[in-house]
Amino acid sequence: MSGSGRPESRSVHIEPEEVQRFCEFLYRRTGMSFTQGKRYFIDRRLEDRIAATGSSSFQAYFSLLRADADHEIEHLINSFTVNETYFYREDHQLRCMTSSLLGGIVALKPPGSTIRIWSLPCSTGEEPYSIALWLMENWPQVDNYNIEIVGSDIDTRALKAAAEGIYGERALMRLSRDIVSRYFRPLGDGNHQIDEGLRGSIEFTRANLIDTQDMLRYRDFDLIFCRNVLIYFDDASRRQAAENLYDCLRPGGYICLGHSESMSRISPLFSVCRFPDAIVYQRPEADHG
Amino acid sequence: MVDVGAPARARILVVDDSSLVRLYYRSTLEKAGFEVEQAINGIEAMERALSQPFDLVIVDVNMPRMDGFSFLRALRCGAGEMATLPALMISTEAETRDVAAARAAGANFYLVKPVAEAELVRHVCALTGAAS
Repeated sequence: MSGSGRPESRSVHIEPEEVQRFCEFLYRRTGMSFTQGKRYFIDRRLEDRIAATGSSSFQAYFSLLRADADHEIEHLINSFTVNETYFYREDHQLRCMTSSLLGGIVALKPPGSTIRIWSLPCSTGEEPYSIALWLMENWPQVDNYNIEIVGSDIDTRALKAAAEGIYGERALMRLSRDIVSRYFRPLGDGNHQIDEGLRGSIEFTRANLIDTQDMLRYRDFDLIFCRNVLIYFDDASRRQAAENLYDCLRPGGYICLGHSESMSRISPLFSVCRFPDAIVYQRPEADHG
Repeated sequence: MVDVGAPARARILVVDDSSLVRLYYRSTLEKAGFEVEQAINGIEAMERALSQPFDLVIVDVNMPRMDGFSFLRALRCGAGEMATLPALMISTEAETRDVAAARAAGANFYLVKPVAEAELVRHVCALTGAAS
């Protein structure tokens, strides 16, 4: 059997050196770095994938994984990503976007020109949809520019859910009743589906942050939200990710990280900008490299 | 926000190539009690206008395939109600000559972006005869 569903796990003994080999493979493919301290997290997901593929042992599964049989690498990555989030999370950064960042971004752009905003990783869509909602509700210039919002993730299962835009009450807890009633449609089972027009306004794509070749497709962003993903990477991958993100930004463009992350500790490429609502990082205007 | 409370809800066709702008106008107008349909360019707007009745069309200028001016000129050449359908043109172009071009193409009123929610509702009420 193959697929991304979560099957009944069965106990397969995995040796420490096998976990080590597996972690090295995962790191090379995704940049995600797991230590032995995360052994339980790794074992749970590995056991699920071994069972899902009907493999008789770790060795059998690992051969299948390396051959990428039935897109097993994609299924594996999907099982290792964490996709729990909610709308208007870290809203101080959204406030910073409309009160401080966009003013500088549009200063050199004529009305009607394009503003590109990237949510990476976008998980199941809460962040890019939040950006769109926040702009419509809080930025008086929203109709004066052509705003392109792209949501990307390495997890194709999450991207599919993002495009469907169906959320439970928990994901909507930070939104006002007014916003929920205007932009969501109740499905009758306690879930809500986000407005079709809003779904159509976000482009969802698969992207691998540490794959420089893959990241060549993403250029000229004015603003990138890249929250809580660099914490999964080791130092070398973090630096690579930072360099890739730098190349994806326009000169003068900004990047917002998670509240526990600091670009200053990762890369000297960016300038630190302290705004009233948030600390963000800027690709210097003068550097056109 | 203004609730027009009209007995029969006026139907508005919003034509803009930006999905977020369409959504912003639609959301604003629905909140004020209007019924809203959308089109992404002049060609799609013509198809909508030919197949169903509207009380007002809101149209952007710069759009791919058929721009706002071409759409309005085609609309004004149409039969019956299409020729007289009130049209509000909204654009980033802010010069006097742009307003004159809009009038010449058949726009009843012209607004320069950005348009605040209350301003949009006020003009749509005025053009549809809805109470504001």
